[in-house]
Amino acid sequence: MKKIIIITAAFLGLVFTACENELDLNSPNDITVDQYWKTESDAQAGVNSIYAMFYKDGLWARWIYFRLDLTSDEGYSVSPWTELADWTRFNYINYNFWEGNAVTWRDTYKAIFRCNQVLANVPNIAFQNEEDKKKIIAQAKFFRALHYYYAAVIWEDIPLVLEPSTPQALPQQKKVDEIWAQVEKDLNEAFEDLPRDWSADQLGRPDKGAAKAFLAKVYMQQHKWPEAKTALEFLISGAGAKYSLVANYRDNFTDTNENNAESVFEIQFGDQRKGGTGEDQNAAVSSNRSQFFAPRGIGWSDGQARIWLVDAFKQENNKDGKLDERLRWTLFYPQLLADFGDKTYGRNWEWNNNEAWFRKGSRDYYRNNEDYYNQVNYRLVRYADILLRYAEVLNELGNTAQAYQYVDMVRTRANMNALATAHPEIGNDHDKFLERLKMERVLELCGESVRWEDLKRWGDLNNQASVDKIALRDPDFKNFAVGKNHRMPIPQSDVDNNPNLEQNSGY
Amino acid sequence: MKTKFTHFLTKRYYLLVFFSLLLQSAFAQQINVTGKVTTADGQAVPFANVLIKGTQNGAVTDFDGSFKISASGNQTLVFSSQGYKTVEIAINNKTSINVTMAEDAMKLDEIVVVGYGSQQKKDLTGAVALVKPDEIQKRQVTTVADGLQGLVTGVKVRGGGRPGQEANVEIRGLKNLQNTNPLYVIDGLVTSANRDFNPNDIESIQVLKDASAAAIYGSRAANGVIIITTKKGKKGPLQVEVSAKSSFTTMPRYDLMGTEEFAKYNNMAYDNAGLPRQNLNMAVNTDWQDAVFRTGMIQDYNASFSGGNENSSFFMSGNYFGNEGTVVGTDFDRISFRVNSSGTKGIFSIGENLAISNSKTDEMSGNPIIDVYRMTPTIPLYDASNPGGYGYGKQGVADTFGTNPLAIADFANTINENFRIRGNIWSELKFVPWLKYRFNFGYETSFDSYKFMRKKGSWTLNQPQDPSQTDQNKGRSETLLFENTLTFKKEFGKHDITLLVGQTYQKDNYNQIYGTKRNLPMNSGTGQYYEVLNQGDSPVVGGFINEAALTSYLGRLEYNYDNRYLFNAVLRRDGSSKFSDANKWGNFPSLSAGWRISNESFFKSEFIKDLKLRASYGELGSGNIGNYEYKSFVNNFGQIVLGKDQTLYPSAAQVKLSNAELRWEKLKQTNIGVDLGVLNNDLRFTADYFIARTEDVLFGFPILLTTGNDGGNPISNAATVENKGFELELAYSKKINDFSFNASVNFTKINNKLVSLGNGQNENYSGNTVTRAGMPVGMWYVLQTDGLFQNQQEIDNYKNANGKVIMPNAVPGDIRFKDNNGDGQITNEDKAVVGSPWPEFEMGFNAGAEYKGFDFSMNWIASNGAMVYDGFRSVVDRFDDNSNYRKGIQPWTPENPNTDFPRVTKGSTLNSRGDTDRFLESGNFIRLKYIGFGYSFPQNVLQGSGISRARLTLSAQNIITITKYQGLDPEFTNNNIFERGVDNGAFPNLRTYSLGVEFSF
Repeated sequence: MKKIIIITAAFLGLVFTACENELDLNSPNDITVDQYWKTESDAQAGVNSIYAMFYKDGLWARWIYFRLDLTSDEGYSVSPWTELADWTRFNYINYNFWEGNAVTWRDTYKAIFRCNQVLANVPNIAFQNEEDKKKIIAQAKFFRALHYYYAAVIWEDIPLVLEPSTPQALPQQKKVDEIWAQVEKDLNEAFEDLPRDWSADQLGRPDKGAAKAFLAKVYMQQHKWPEAKTALEFLISGAGAKYSLVANYRDNFTDTNENNAESVFEIQFGDQRKGGTGEDQNAAVSSNRSQFFAPRGIGWSDGQARIWLVDAFKQENNKDGKLDERLRWTLFYPQLLADFGDKTYGRNWEWNNNEAWFRKGSRDYYRNNEDYYNQVNYRLVRYADILLRYAEVLNELGNTAQAYQYVDMVRTRANMNALATAHPEIGNDHDKFLERLKMERVLELCGESVRWEDLKRWGDLNNQASVDKIALRDPDFKNFAVGKNHRMPIPQSDVDNNPNLEQNSGY
Repeated sequence: MKTKFTHFLTKRYYLLVFFSLLLQSAFAQQINVTGKVTTADGQAVPFANVLIKGTQNGAVTDFDGSFKISASGNQTLVFSSQGYKTVEIAINNKTSINVTMAEDAMKLDEIVVVGYGSQQKKDLTGAVALVKPDEIQKRQVTTVADGLQGLVTGVKVRGGGRPGQEANVEIRGLKNLQNTNPLYVIDGLVTSANRDFNPNDIESIQVLKDASAAAIYGSRAANGVIIITTKKGKKGPLQVEVSAKSSFTTMPRYDLMGTEEFAKYNNMAYDNAGLPRQNLNMAVNTDWQDAVFRTGMIQDYNASFSGGNENSSFFMSGNYFGNEGTVVGTDFDRISFRVNSSGTKGIFSIGENLAISNSKTDEMSGNPIIDVYRMTPTIPLYDASNPGGYGYGKQGVADTFGTNPLAIADFANTINENFRIRGNIWSELKFVPWLKYRFNFGYETSFDSYKFMRKKGSWTLNQPQDPSQTDQNKGRSETLLFENTLTFKKEFGKHDITLLVGQTYQKDNYNQIYGTKRNLPMNSGTGQYYEVLNQGDSPVVGGFINEAALTSYLGRLEYNYDNRYLFNAVLRRDGSSKFSDANKWGNFPSLSAGWRISNESFFKSEFIKDLKLRASYGELGSGNIGNYEYKSFVNNFGQIVLGKDQTLYPSAAQVKLSNAELRWEKLKQTNIGVDLGVLNNDLRFTADYFIARTEDVLFGFPILLTTGNDGGNPISNAATVENKGFELELAYSKKINDFSFNASVNFTKINNKLVSLGNGQNENYSGNTVTRAGMPVGMWYVLQTDGLFQNQQEIDNYKNANGKVIMPNAVPGDIRFKDNNGDGQITNEDKAVVGSPWPEFEMGFNAGAEYKGFDFSMNWIASNGAMVYDGFRSVVDRFDDNSNYRKGIQPWTPENPNTDFPRVTKGSTLNSRGDTDRFLESGNFIRLKYIGFGYSFPQNVLQGSGISRARLTLSAQNIITITKYQGLDPEFTNNNIFERGVDNGAFPNLRTYSLGVEFSF
């Protein structure tokens, strides 16, 4: 009996003490957040992660083009995926529709979360050279401003998140004016610390010019013309004046002359990695736009161009009495072969005679199909846009006469006659000049994701009469409700679960 | 009151005195009694207990069923053996007593394995169900879970007929939101009874349903526990059993249109939308179901060898299971071996159970169940003008993004292969008869291999022309389990006490390496690709390791007073590596009690043979989450392009958020039950009522998108879920001469309710469902239809209270929707909760009969009250996107207004919306799950052949289904907990016809 008790006691003592420290297991796979943000290279990779957001499908890899290009009167969708098409024609039913709304919203805030991680953590990291640290912080501010800018263009009144996210966060919605103010603040601060130029191996990072360009954009959306003028002058005549228009218009849309003299801010795409748009080990660094916008049988053809654009180009011939060459590089359209001798991805026109597709960014110059790995950089802001903006600002400030020269710089590159020659009726009439400028912007910038903000800035979406006019060239605008559809609905799941967030009125 | 109690005590005292007197007299006149115990058909019953009634004295029959015992001539012998009815025979001074024991289907003396020990069924205080293994083995199933359907109250099983498909099991309702599958314990090893496990090896199955029964498994038992014991050798010469079963399986089919009828309605849809008709290829009339579905074949061969002597036993088995699927390009093969053995010497015994299996699955590519109706009959199977040569949609001719299932089966092939070793070694030291120490070492490892091969070729319209690619990975999982238990079991007079204490430690590890290559070369001679990772370009490699550990202390006290008062207490303390230091440990106690009223002296009833009341309360845990969920990580997978040369630079950031304060999910369950046996226990009745409340449910509810979180929702202790349920089982068995039969009915009713959503959230939407506090999980939330508009006048008159025309754009023949919020338009705000995806009750009916060598059995299952979403109709009835259509539909036309099918139009109108009640249907069904006939050859035929037993079986599964559901199969499964009622191309259960032979030597 005694023996048994001893054995029992020994057994209990033995086993009941073992194994508890075995429960402290760390992941052998990933660095934890509290181990990160210690070194300069952590900070560098951290700020780089913001650039990686350009490759996500909610943003500049795919769906944001549906918001900016297809929703505008330049583009439309006849996708057999009806809901996808409905979201380009103001037919918003399910506000949580992922591809049409929620993913762009989420990826916007995912990008902002990355900016906020850099802004919260990098100041605590010791750098050898304080300038490097400032540059990293300035980049994060630039991108936070960029993403808030497009979010404000799309949704207007949105929550403002300026700290790294937590699962329980319920951020406060702000009026669009407050969003603009934050964008201005971030850009002004970024401008101070961004370099004027990056070394050749760092091209693609924002410089002072890029910061001023976005400042001009945000000022112009608010009709702050004097401020916009100052910002633009930095690029045109000020300390940042280093830009020029490339001789060959198409160089803005291929991978053969990237980061050229016309580029103000350019999203860098590559085809080195053949993964998806997520966070996998092989996550792609490409754009899917051309796969989604290429004609049927070549790509998904979920988005295409309105046929009125072809007519717009054909309104005015160039100096040689020939068609505006920009038409050739802007669109695939039924007469492309007849007009310019170009087939469409090596094919004769096999589509309907009232259809057209966007050609900018397509890779038909060396292949007959598209895929998910388009490497052509996307020129988000190029100098031609800056010049036309400057003309617009001057016109708004009453300096219409001075504005002509900047329009002409753009027209000359396209071998078009001077504006005053081609359109003598305009004179110094502000309204006529603006009307013409609207057309000039279409001809130069069509399919480059600026049309939606242009329409908003010009107030063309604010009254029924102008919307009716737009509807003549884009019947989707028959669905447009004035006072409602100038911004999209906020994803309903966020509205329902955040007491500090209300749905945009009308939705 | 007090007097009564004293009186009661006095009575008991008299009883004691009486028994002791009896004992004394017994010792007075001893005689030797010998005899033999046999079954009704003359076979010996070895190891039967022979007990002198009212004493501890007894004997055990030997292998020939013979026994010898000394007793006094006026005593009574009680013969008992597992699986037989107990027999009492008064000695009456006879020295030779031969006993025939009748088999008992519903035995009370059955031993029930309850985890780290066993109890007699009559002593159970918790809700434990026993399943006879042959009920499962007689069916043609891939996993144990499939075989449980309809056999146990409170256990809901949903499976499907895809080769290698594993069924979902829900024990007593949806108690959490992660995974409802129970914990499987095979021979003491916590594991999964997945498709690698051979159901033919099962000796016994018990389902621990309530908290008190499952509490011994603490933190992992919240979903219930299924304990499986595998077969052991029995004393005697080598026993050989061989069985072979072959089955044919067939798919249920959709009733779809052929080209002619299809063209009529497709053209009508384009006409109604004002679009030019498609240039349909009328020369083609493809029956996609004929092309894709085929008769499947299952082969199941099993052989076992067993034997043993007094001190050792062994059991060996081998099994081949092959399932050639009913869909092209699907296949499942399993080869498994098992060796179980044990030995004893003195106070020491040792044993092992070891199973080795290899299973290989050719997985289904895409979803042919959907593709067969998305492809129109005008599309040819093959089209040489397409890359790869298969037919699919074509712009203006057959405008659809449907996938050619033959093409995807050819061009995208996935093979999974697992080699698994699963087993345990145990040893026991029995210091004294009442104290036992047991050490158990469990080990399981699986070598997993995955290969995906993408060949060049297209299967759908506008598809990017991807290069060939292969993704492959090799993984290995390993589980180590150490268990030490000490069991004290002793009777003190009428006090029977069992005390168990123990400690366990488990470590899990999984590691994987993977690689991808593109542009693999093709052997131009054979057309085969070189599918190895050496070939091709654009390599991607990777690998990861996941580890988890669990340490536990456990204790159980069983107390039985005079077979009348039963008491059971369990405490388990678990520590898991999945939680932060502050929250690692959880305590899981339970208490249960039983009162066998029928053993009370005051209870005298010839009619009621057995009556027991049970009550229990217990707390269980769940930590069924990823290994490192409470930590935040930096994702450094990304890269970015920069610079003149467009080179890659590293990128790193936190992508997924996490909650550092995760803690155990806790299930609190109360159970009240009654067991009743009448008519000499031929009729047995069991009823249970339970309330199970799960708090701090671990789940990753969607968080605000403004957090920018990606990579999965962070797990949090979010919701509280409550299930209240009622289970009934009524069983009858009777033997009359050569004829015996049994029948049982089981009934389960469970009400699920989400008490609170937690996380500050109000509601959660998933597809067409909403989950709100106070309602069951995943209620249907859709627009409500209200008939069709017959004419323009009806449209104009359909106004809200303010006179606003609600659907001004409607056309006669369109669906009228209810404007529930009265705002004069149809929007998402008009959606309403219209029904529940959960059955009101489920039932099973099982019956069997035996006459001479013939036997017959059948299982029926029924489900009532669930509303389900018919994904098939939501595609083929919408008409805005091309697909094939249901044969014989009668859409609204001005000439045919008396129909409930709206006008068809190829355009986005409200008619085509999927989020309406139009596609919700009753999910009620009654199904003949199994019917089987068997014939055992009589002994006189087999004599001299060396065969001791020979049996033929003929059976069928799922051959009768009574339902109004218009999809393929009302008994479908959906892994999304919030969309359990959505049948979105679920693989149906198959009609299976089986022929089997069994031999014993």
